[in-house]
Amino acid sequence: MNAAWIVFQKELMEVLRDRRTMMAIGLAALATPLVLFVISEVSTQTATQTYTVGYSGEIPTGLAILLQATGLKLKAVADPAAAAVKQVDLGVAFLPGEIDEYYDPTRQSAQIADVRLQTILGQYDAAQAAAALKNSGIDPGILTPIKLVGHPLSSPVQAASNAFLSFFLPYILITMILTGGFSAALDSSAGERERRTLEGLLLTPAPRSRLLLGKIGAITVVSLAAAVVAIGSMFVALTQISLPGSSSHITLSPAAVPVMVWLALLIAFSFSSVSLALGTLAKNFRQGQAYVTPLYFITILPASIILFIPDFNPNLAYYLIPILNAVLVLRDAIVHNSVSWMALTVTSLSLLATGALSWFAALRLFTREALLTK
Amino acid sequence: MIDAAVAVERLEKTLGKNRVLQGISFEAKPGEIFGLLGPNGAGKTTTLRIICTLLSPDAGTVKVEGFDTTTEPQEVRRRIGVVTADIGVYPRLSARENIEYFAKLCGLMDGELTRKVDAVIERLDMGSFAKQRAESLSSGQKQKVAIARAIVHDPEVLMFDEPTSNLDVLASKEVREFMVEAKGRGKCVIFSTHVMHDAERLCDRMAILHHGLIVASGPTEQVRGTERDLESAFLALVEA
Repeated sequence: MNAAWIVFQKELMEVLRDRRTMMAIGLAALATPLVLFVISEVSTQTATQTYTVGYSGEIPTGLAILLQATGLKLKAVADPAAAAVKQVDLGVAFLPGEIDEYYDPTRQSAQIADVRLQTILGQYDAAQAAAALKNSGIDPGILTPIKLVGHPLSSPVQAASNAFLSFFLPYILITMILTGGFSAALDSSAGERERRTLEGLLLTPAPRSRLLLGKIGAITVVSLAAAVVAIGSMFVALTQISLPGSSSHITLSPAAVPVMVWLALLIAFSFSSVSLALGTLAKNFRQGQAYVTPLYFITILPASIILFIPDFNPNLAYYLIPILNAVLVLRDAIVHNSVSWMALTVTSLSLLATGALSWFAALRLFTREALLTK
Repeated sequence: MIDAAVAVERLEKTLGKNRVLQGISFEAKPGEIFGLLGPNGAGKTTTLRIICTLLSPDAGTVKVEGFDTTTEPQEVRRRIGVVTADIGVYPRLSARENIEYFAKLCGLMDGELTRKVDAVIERLDMGSFAKQRAESLSSGQKQKVAIARAIVHDPEVLMFDEPTSNLDVLASKEVREFMVEAKGRGKCVIFSTHVMHDAERLCDRMAILHHGLIVASGPTEQVRGTERDLESAFLALVEA
């Protein structure tokens, strides 16, 4: 039997019996739906919540009904400016021909109430102007000499779904691949040194490259399993959550599925090699954690920042940067349901090169004498 | 025909700035227990690690059953079994799984694998705890697992590096008995220790290492010479 396969089987068996790794994967499976549920609840609550407007003066005719229909509750106060500090979400003073608005921009409730008020006032003004023109015998259509007719090229509901997935999916995929394999990688490298089993392993006739291949293979499988569990539980949770204003659920565009699987394989292989190489430098599990933890921040931070810039259109050079490139390709596949083959090729080559370099580094570290003498 | 199971010639090794071995030579034969004696830091473990291919020599040669450790390391590793004081076993595998893992990596398969693993478990009287996870075993039981995995592929050369230093009296006795039994079956046993009493009782021949040099070698009686015991002879040599 091939030594790599023997090591692979044994490493997987150990992982399955390792409470630490299994708990990490189990927590990921539970945490993702929980986070989604909380996000969904918070956004539903924000959208339907009623905010209080403290006012003084005479409310223009018909405006009170409009405001209340939009979830703005009116409350008479003596000083709207003072009330807006804490007592109410927004302060409004109705003066002849003028409305003074008082709000604290640092309060999210004030910001939302402000947007609602602005929207309603815009509609109210337009309706009043149209009525005045009509009374004077003028066609209110002159207020909108150019009529805008929108023709969305894709379903707005699907666009919202894609925007949501393009933000969460790459993040969860990369985080789970990285963190899911950490424990297994450290156990398989620094753990071997700490338990004093490494010497025995290196004394077998099996070539060291095969031993390493078996270890990297097992860590890759564990990383992928963690990602599959987290993403699977996310999609199960999403079947229970409807998009705002629709009965539709969030779905993944067809092009994104094979791209995600391919990128997940490449990232898992690269990360496994890198974390195993770093783990090999460590004398024990704790030291290994200190070496590997920065890897998470180094890789996830730039990728996360990009997720907050939805219309970031990078040139091809950006696709050379490992992990960032995977996020960009996956985001394009989710949002546009299409793949730029050039970008995917550059990304694949970059990730394969990272994996190969890490593999050679891990092999070099795994075969050095200092592994046993220091 | 190969006379020596292990042949070490003018072996040199430097680790960091420390010149650990300064051109040592000795031979160990099949059917004997060869003692490698010396104080801590004398170079015993480094010598064993070079013999078992974990370290490479800076100069000199080492041959195991005629195979050079530098050019044919895999052939050498097929023919050796090593037991050390650091009893490293995989805690989440059972005693049997630990042995099977190493047996498979040594090339044993299917029926031969089961037969040899069963045989070694019986020989070392491990039946009562073979299915137990290694994390729950005592030091003595773990040492038996370590011995079992080192001998499961039936190597011609067995090396014991301070094998009893972490064991109680009973477990130490079993390890010593095993070495004698292995010698009886024609194996070459290399026994590295600084416990002179054990060495005197067990070794047929020996080499005393000090500061990376062999200061005495030959049959045990010859090394002891006119001194009252091996410990006195050893002290006379290293303090000279």
